[in-house]
Amino acid sequence: MDNINVLIIEDTLEQSDALVKVLTDNNYNVAGVAKNYTEALKLFYEKSVDIIIIDVFLDGKPEGITFAESINIIPHASKPFVFLTSSQDRQIFERAKLTKPFSFLMKPFNELEILYAIEMAVEKFYEQTNVFLSEEQNTVISNDSLFIKKKNSLKKVNLEDILYIEVEERYCNIVTEKEKFVILISLTKISDLLDKNKFIKTHRNTIVNTDKIEEIILADNLIILKGNHKINLSDTYKDFIKKMNILS
Amino acid sequence: MLRAKLILILLILFLCFPAFSQEKYNNVLLNSELKIKVLKFKDEINFKKAQQFFFQKNWDSTLVYSMKQLNSGKAKELADYCHFLRGSSFRELKLFEEAKTELNLISRNFTLYPLVYNNLAITSLELKDFKKSIFYFNQLEKLSDKDQKKYYIKSLHENLGLCYLHLKQFDKAEAYFLKSSEILKIEKDTISLIGSYNNIANLYYEQYKDNLAIPYFEKAYLLSSKVKDFEVKRQTSKNMAVVEENRNNFKKALIYRKESEQWKDSLNNQSKIWALADYEKKFAVAQKQKQIKVLEVENKLKNTQRNTLFFSSIGLLLILTGGVYLYAQKVKNGKTILRQKNKLDELNATKDQLFSIVSHDLRSSVNALKNSNSKLSATLETKNYDELNHLIVQNSSIANGTYSLLDNLLHWALLQTKQLYFNKESVHLYSVIQQIEYNYKPLLLDKSITFQNSVSKNIFIFVDLDSLKIVFRNLLDNAIKFSKENGQIIFSGNDIDSDFYQIIIQDTGIGMNENTINELLQEGELLAKKGNSEIIGTGLGLQLCKQMIKKNNGTFNIESELNKGTKMILTFPKTK
Repeated sequence: MDNINVLIIEDTLEQSDALVKVLTDNNYNVAGVAKNYTEALKLFYEKSVDIIIIDVFLDGKPEGITFAESINIIPHASKPFVFLTSSQDRQIFERAKLTKPFSFLMKPFNELEILYAIEMAVEKFYEQTNVFLSEEQNTVISNDSLFIKKKNSLKKVNLEDILYIEVEERYCNIVTEKEKFVILISLTKISDLLDKNKFIKTHRNTIVNTDKIEEIILADNLIILKGNHKINLSDTYKDFIKKMNILS
Repeated sequence: MLRAKLILILLILFLCFPAFSQEKYNNVLLNSELKIKVLKFKDEINFKKAQQFFFQKNWDSTLVYSMKQLNSGKAKELADYCHFLRGSSFRELKLFEEAKTELNLISRNFTLYPLVYNNLAITSLELKDFKKSIFYFNQLEKLSDKDQKKYYIKSLHENLGLCYLHLKQFDKAEAYFLKSSEILKIEKDTISLIGSYNNIANLYYEQYKDNLAIPYFEKAYLLSSKVKDFEVKRQTSKNMAVVEENRNNFKKALIYRKESEQWKDSLNNQSKIWALADYEKKFAVAQKQKQIKVLEVENKLKNTQRNTLFFSSIGLLLILTGGVYLYAQKVKNGKTILRQKNKLDELNATKDQLFSIVSHDLRSSVNALKNSNSKLSATLETKNYDELNHLIVQNSSIANGTYSLLDNLLHWALLQTKQLYFNKESVHLYSVIQQIEYNYKPLLLDKSITFQNSVSKNIFIFVDLDSLKIVFRNLLDNAIKFSKENGQIIFSGNDIDSDFYQIIIQDTGIGMNENTINELLQEGELLAKKGNSEIIGTGLGLQLCKQMIKKNNGTFNIESELNKGTKMILTFPKTK
């Protein structure tokens, strides 16, 4: 389980320092602080970034929006944004709104507000709203990772690292090579959101990452995964084998 | 030889007479009969036209239209009438053979059959088929006197006489002529009587009974002096001349002949006069026509004048109504403007008042800050750290208050100028309340007020996040402001129905009375009343709350009890 990498684009040192403090206090990883548009672009491409917090006005110009616009037009590059603004001027908003999905936070803000805004931005960006704050679910699934709410902050798990998922009622046990943890999400939701070619049901309550399969022992109805994890294979779900490219 | 010629002249003369007179009388009966038929067969236009032309003596057209009517084959009842009209027309056109054929086509039960007999008789007479003529006349003779009168059959005896005369049956001819003359004498038809006398005279003359003939000629001559007809006068005098000539009394014959010539001249003169009269008539008609034309032109002129007058008056009326309408509009507009002006004045006054209060508030808080700061620096010198801390806390609370006042002012201004960005989205109510409370933690701690957020963690409401924050900030601020030490503030929620969620902000503060509640809840105007109590603010905060809640499709209500506490009750739409 990794911390979330946040890129901060903010020209006022005082405010960026405050932000960095809040984020690190809440177990976020600050990927970098950019003071202007070019720095922001440079950092964005250099570092691995999960979320971007952007001040709309950099040096009195709405460069923050320009930055959002320029990364929005690159396919698959865009990340969840949180716009920071001290003005509720409609014109600025109308422009910022075009960078969908759009979340913003009015200055001044407190710790709780910025954490809430980050969560909202992730939810909106991956179009899975009302997740982190409900009591039924705590995970948003993107195309390459899980965003899990843990206490006040978000955590990330790469989908590639997952060996298999075991479902128990409303909970899911996620097993990676290194660790094992529980998330709150229903089986139907998680199976809907995961890539069906990669994550396959092998049992009524087990989903396996096919990339991690080492061996399938049909006689014993067993699947052996990396790290010698043994998984039961139920007859009902055996069909998936046909879809796999089997090496002789 | 001379006698033969005389008779011929006379015959021709007399043949015309009966035919003419009879036609004239027949018309009355025929006319009424035809009119009835026309009314009965309104749709038969051809028949109507045929009978019209018949009465106008336009024989050719009568023939054409009666033929059309016959060819159309409709209204069989009219066929006999058509044949009759055609027969009569042919006779008038002297086409006697055709007339005969047409008349013979008429069926026996034709109501006016006696007229057909009459026509046939005369036609036969014209064709010199005297026997047939006599046969037809005899048929007519069989009718009673009354019927004869009904059909206006006259000169029957005269014509019979003529027939017999031609057939040289002098006895019969004499009898009929005498009978005729008797009747004519009774009827005092002088002209016919003269003809009759002439016929009798001719009859006798034919038989060389000159002695009997001459008195009749003379009688005729004498009678002719009483009539104005020049032709008759000429004829009788000429007859007399022939008679005298035959008696070898040439002197008298010459006188008669001269007289005859004179009558002939008169006749010619009369024709000339008539022609002249006719010409004059035509001239007069032309003159009249001209006058009519002039009058027409005048009429037209008058019409145009009248029309111009009419239209110009209408135009004037329109302009007048338009003017009245515009004036009414102007008055209305004026009233509207006045009303708007009054309202604007009122609003402006409220605004002015608001500004004065706000600036007063700002001035006093900044002043307090200033004083506090100088105190701070003084305390710093004495290094009284307890006092220092106290002052810093005080400063920050003053700054907070001022900040929220300014914040409200900014939002209020944005709202008034419709510049506020407003975007409804799904909002986690519990988190938002926590976020707001976070900022007030020091204040709550300072007053030892316990805060409780018992709103369900699973509730999402559909509102604009920032306006919701403004509402909560103001309400919490008020609740803290009006709470005593060790008070309690609770945010709780109720799921009232499937669409709305109710939030209750309850405090244990000083509360307020009914009047204050009503004033706060009043629509529209800013409260803007600075009461004598220092606590009551501008009312701007609550006013802003009300407008924001309304914009979010929510409701707002207050329940309060003096010295016990206040409940602010809000509802917002839930996320679906």
